[in-house]
Amino acid sequence: MITSIIIMILSGAALYIYTKWLLQNEIEEELYSEKNRVEHLLEQNPELVGIPPIITAEKTEIAQPNILVDTLIYDPLQDEIELFRQLSGTKNINGQNYMITVRAMTIESENILFAILFTFLVVILLAFIFLFYLNKSRNEKLWKPFFVNLDRLKSFSLRSNQPLSLEDSEILEFHELNREMEDLTAKIQIDYRNLKQFTEDISHEMQTPLAIMQAKIETIINDIDINEAQFNEFSSLQTDIGRLKKLNKKLILLAKIENNQFTGTETTSINTTFKETIQNIQELAAINIKLKEENTIEVPMDGSLARVLCNNLVSNAVKHNSNNQPVLVVIKDGSVLVINSGTEVLERPDQVFERFYKESKKRDSTGLGLSIVKKICDYYGFTPSYRFENNKHIFQVHFVV
Amino acid sequence: MKYLIAEDENELQQSIAKYLGNDANVCETASDYQEASEKLELYEYDIVILDINLVTGSGLDLLRKLKQQHKKCGVIIISANNSLENKLEGLDLGADDYITKPFHLAELNSRIKAVLRRGQFGGEDSIVFNEIRLDTLARSAYVNEKPITLTRKEYDLLLFFITNQGRVLSKAIIAEHLWGDDSDLLDNFDFIYVHINNLRKKLTSEGAKYIQTAYGSGYKFIAD
Repeated sequence: MITSIIIMILSGAALYIYTKWLLQNEIEEELYSEKNRVEHLLEQNPELVGIPPIITAEKTEIAQPNILVDTLIYDPLQDEIELFRQLSGTKNINGQNYMITVRAMTIESENILFAILFTFLVVILLAFIFLFYLNKSRNEKLWKPFFVNLDRLKSFSLRSNQPLSLEDSEILEFHELNREMEDLTAKIQIDYRNLKQFTEDISHEMQTPLAIMQAKIETIINDIDINEAQFNEFSSLQTDIGRLKKLNKKLILLAKIENNQFTGTETTSINTTFKETIQNIQELAAINIKLKEENTIEVPMDGSLARVLCNNLVSNAVKHNSNNQPVLVVIKDGSVLVINSGTEVLERPDQVFERFYKESKKRDSTGLGLSIVKKICDYYGFTPSYRFENNKHIFQVHFVV
Repeated sequence: MKYLIAEDENELQQSIAKYLGNDANVCETASDYQEASEKLELYEYDIVILDINLVTGSGLDLLRKLKQQHKKCGVIIISANNSLENKLEGLDLGADDYITKPFHLAELNSRIKAVLRRGQFGGEDSIVFNEIRLDTLARSAYVNEKPITLTRKEYDLLLFFITNQGRVLSKAIIAEHLWGDDSDLLDNFDFIYVHINNLRKKLTSEGAKYIQTAYGSGYKFIAD
């Protein structure tokens, strides 16, 4: 753009100078020939006075060579002072010196400049309009596959089993890019599936050895005479197996959600689910759990997942509650808020829904409860969020999509 | 009672057999599909404990066969896979209960007893242990035919104790039986202690002193 402007200014200036020079040359040539013609006429008619102010001839004593000058003369016809080019010189005709002056109106520089500028602008404008539409239509055609593919990339999900298929383009670079993208996503998809399968397989394969361990401990406790210390060791082993069991169960649940194995879409009342959950948990919790319902929420979702969602939210609040303050569950405006009191803000609140994110040192916590909440929310398009206000941890799930 | 334990993991199979055999039950075992299939055709059992993933075939196929032959036995499926579809398929085919690995033997035992109780397998609605009687339909308890008021959890606890009488039950097993997945909410098992103590007081006041402490932190329900 800048270069084209510079080129245009330079060429405009050159054109201006050249045109001006050409015009001047032409006028001067004309003046000389006109003067010649007057001289011829004077030879035939010595009394000729010419056509003032364009041509004048008068007798003079002094001889003077040809002089070219610019002069301003009032033109009564146009009622304007105009610029003239003037050639004057004496000529001896039949022994008498005549001063012959011929003048020609010159085109003013501004006019030339204006004409050039105007022509230039018109040409540029036309060229611009033409090129704009030409480029636009060409670009549209050229980039169309690119934008189509960009949209497909945006909507591509690792979790779906659909491979990424891109529209082919005649442009070599796009074609190669597409091919690489397709290869890359296919590879990632396979890796992702393998990883998922691996987690699931491991979880399932672990169940049987765990069952054997658990069964053997029970056999020992019942059949062999052991002492109290040994019993306590076995009890603690049982507790740890229990933890592994729960961890496993949660991992399998996560895998199942990811595999879209929950297809139930019955209308589930979130209020009822929370009521039941709170009733169950209240039995185990030393602190009070209060439910405040301002309106009702009903969503189409799998009932068992709804129970898991409520259960995880409430048990998380109960587990991490402090000061023996009651845990509060508020249902309002399509959202559920689960509030428990805490002493300090979390170090990394943005990671609270991540797998195995733990801030407390509680042994029993698997670190999966909230990530399951997030998974379920993602699955149904609910929005989970967390904030810390006035020494309260607030987990909110917005149900209305 | 006669049990068949069809489980391909030898260690687990033996442990189950040993635990269930303690109640003077006869426990036979099968380690693969063929063995289980043969035994089921040849003999009659009261309860079949069936692993879905037998090395040489599916336990569900065995269940299908069993139901085609109209054998009158209770079937409890054990599986490493706790997917709902498997569970529903098993129950649809006529299994009486479904338990996911890993499980406590005491839990398995109490499920077996529950299946046996459900009428058609020679059980009845009442469970009697000396002077204690539990009405499983009304979920109420009597000592010397005098009703005692128990909370829901205390009733479950008593039933679990009677089902697994003479065995040592740790607090972890009890917690899991009573509260399932929610039991990880408990910071410690003091909570169980409260329930057990309440139950023990109610029984003792009627003269039924059967709940004993074992090894300091476990419990045993025993008729001296």
